[in-house]
Amino acid sequence: MNKMEALITSIQGLSGSLGDLCALHARLRKAEDSLRINSNVQLSILKQLDPSIHSLGYLYILEASTSGPVWKKKATLLIAQFINCCDAGQIRLASEKFVILCKRFKDRVFKDPLRGVGPMLSAVRKLVQVSPKRLTALHPDCLQLCLQAKCYLAGFSILSDDIVEVDEPRDFHLYCYYGGMICIGLKGFQKASELLYNVVTAPMHEVNSIAFEAYKKYILVNLIHSGQFSNSLPKCASSVAQKNLKNWCTPYYEVGNYYNDGKISELEAVVVAYSSDFENDNNLGLVKQAVASLYKRNILRLTQKYLTLSLEDIANMVQLPNAKEAEMHVLQMIQDGQIHALINQKDGMVRFLEDPEQYKTSEMIDVMDSVIQRTIGLSKNLIAMDNSLSCDPLYVGKSQVGRERQRYDFGDDFDNFPHFSM
Amino acid sequence: MAPSSSSGLTFKLHPLVIVNISDHYTRVKTQFNPPPSLCATENASNNGEAMLQPNPRVYGCVIGVQRGRTVEIFNSFELLFDPSTDTLDRSFLEKKQELYKKVFPDFYVLGWYSTGSDAEESDMLIHKALMDINESPVYVLLNPAINHAQKDLPVTIYESELHVIDGIPQLIFAHTSYTIETVEAERISVDHVAHLKPSDGGSAATQLAAHLTGIHSAIKMLNSRIRVLHQYLAAMDKGDIPCDNSLLRQVSSLLRRLPAMESERFQDNFLMEYNDKLLVTYLAMITNCTSTMNEMVDKFNTAYDRNSRRGGRTAFM
Repeated sequence: MNKMEALITSIQGLSGSLGDLCALHARLRKAEDSLRINSNVQLSILKQLDPSIHSLGYLYILEASTSGPVWKKKATLLIAQFINCCDAGQIRLASEKFVILCKRFKDRVFKDPLRGVGPMLSAVRKLVQVSPKRLTALHPDCLQLCLQAKCYLAGFSILSDDIVEVDEPRDFHLYCYYGGMICIGLKGFQKASELLYNVVTAPMHEVNSIAFEAYKKYILVNLIHSGQFSNSLPKCASSVAQKNLKNWCTPYYEVGNYYNDGKISELEAVVVAYSSDFENDNNLGLVKQAVASLYKRNILRLTQKYLTLSLEDIANMVQLPNAKEAEMHVLQMIQDGQIHALINQKDGMVRFLEDPEQYKTSEMIDVMDSVIQRTIGLSKNLIAMDNSLSCDPLYVGKSQVGRERQRYDFGDDFDNFPHFSM
Repeated sequence: MAPSSSSGLTFKLHPLVIVNISDHYTRVKTQFNPPPSLCATENASNNGEAMLQPNPRVYGCVIGVQRGRTVEIFNSFELLFDPSTDTLDRSFLEKKQELYKKVFPDFYVLGWYSTGSDAEESDMLIHKALMDINESPVYVLLNPAINHAQKDLPVTIYESELHVIDGIPQLIFAHTSYTIETVEAERISVDHVAHLKPSDGGSAATQLAAHLTGIHSAIKMLNSRIRVLHQYLAAMDKGDIPCDNSLLRQVSSLLRRLPAMESERFQDNFLMEYNDKLLVTYLAMITNCTSTMNEMVDKFNTAYDRNSRRGGRTAFM
């Protein structure tokens, strides 16, 4: 027990400055094994420590106490409290342990996800503080928990941060996949499409199931969002993906083809035919949304051909049962801002209008300003990446060899690079 | 050490003199303080010469015309300073004087110039030495330190006056006021120097940037002055400052002179044009980013693709 006492006093004493923390870290690492063995003592030690001041020590003891197969009941509660009030600076020294602890916590609360969403969110925030714009292993776990708990808005707040650096490809795939699902839940189909596109076109050596699922959802989201479907993967997808992904997605391809034809009844027939496949993939809801969006797509096509149209004609052309439903659809689309039109209820005529945005208001100035600021930030990032790539020895080696072979003057190529500066 | 002069002479300084002095100083400074890349080789060959002076002083002569009470300084030329005897090179000065006399018969040696932040005691020796050419020479001092807060020219003109200090009549420097006088030709050169850029000023991008910077600084100045007026009026309103009616009248007349367009059509047109400019800027930014991304992707492909036939990627960046 003396060792434990000594450990407690050292934790309490050395949690001050950075130098002390490094010494404490070394001691804790040595004491790790002994911590694991003495499971009874652990919780009592924890009572003597304060999680916000002695975060590093607390972390080690918590991790040791949860490493076994059986947990004490209080452990989950303690972990949640710890995550909420720990000190980000101290966590930075032992970030892998923190990640392991949070993963175990997530597995524990998976059956009851609502309890875990708050702590996981703050855990991700604390890690992000440590290394901003870097994808950690916790991001996809947190998103998974939010999905399970159906707290889409909480997950969305994580998605709005930009990610510039990625450690593990698998984390990135999972992050984009779950992120896409959260956006679908929030009906933000544009962002969902972008995220799923990232998974589909990510570089990979062999196909993984995440890419499969993502590709199926990607097809459907594209149909809902922009009504476009193409038989081939985007050009920048890796060759592995291009060879293999198509084989398993035939039902979705059929849906896409019939969508392009524009006949509602045939599309519905296809959906019914493959409904078991869609159910297995949990995509039936999305498919139904896609079918509903076909009406909207057809009405949009009508706006490009006609200036005015009667409601019955709309109903006929779009294969809706009657004019009332046509009116409902058109009203819904006007409210969503997808079309601009005027409905004259007396004679049942709809007049399609142009986009009334004149770009004359000061609100538009604010929008433009924020967009330009974002682009400036993006441009800075790009230029930094470009510069670091120019100094990369691989690049310099290859470009120089290429130049020597063709006997170019070294100075010439620098002049040919167009120099833009912002 | 420098009280105001009471001689009653008016001094007119031509910008050519200022350009000459600053050019001389810059040349000497770059010659004695070579850029760091060359310094490594130079330091090996030089043995203990005091090469790295932070602010070398340069010396020279100013010439011009004195008509009655007006002294007009037109031109200047450089002189070598002999640190051992603390005097200027006399023979060279006389030779140059003769040459200048042939071209400009009216010009006399009016005094001398140097660089530094303040007049020093040693300068008096040089001053006295020049007194046999001109009974009361002038001393033009240029301060080469760049001070962005200072709005005036860092040029001071000193005259020598005889003052009785501690019972001994002594010559001290007294600084006088001066005005800048330009000839048409000088205006062109001053404009050129003012807009000098380190890179070539010919390309459209730098010209546009220079033009916009000029407008930006002008608007900033206007803004700060309006703010000063605004604060002054607010303080007067609160009662902190006694009311000055003449100032108030001036402010109100200024305000009435402003074009006040409040019509809605003006607002519409103005906002539309503003938005158009913003959209064009946005488009330019996107084009810029796209071209940077294009270059970067090319570099990435050169660096990391093993074989250009295979489309696969080998590693995450």
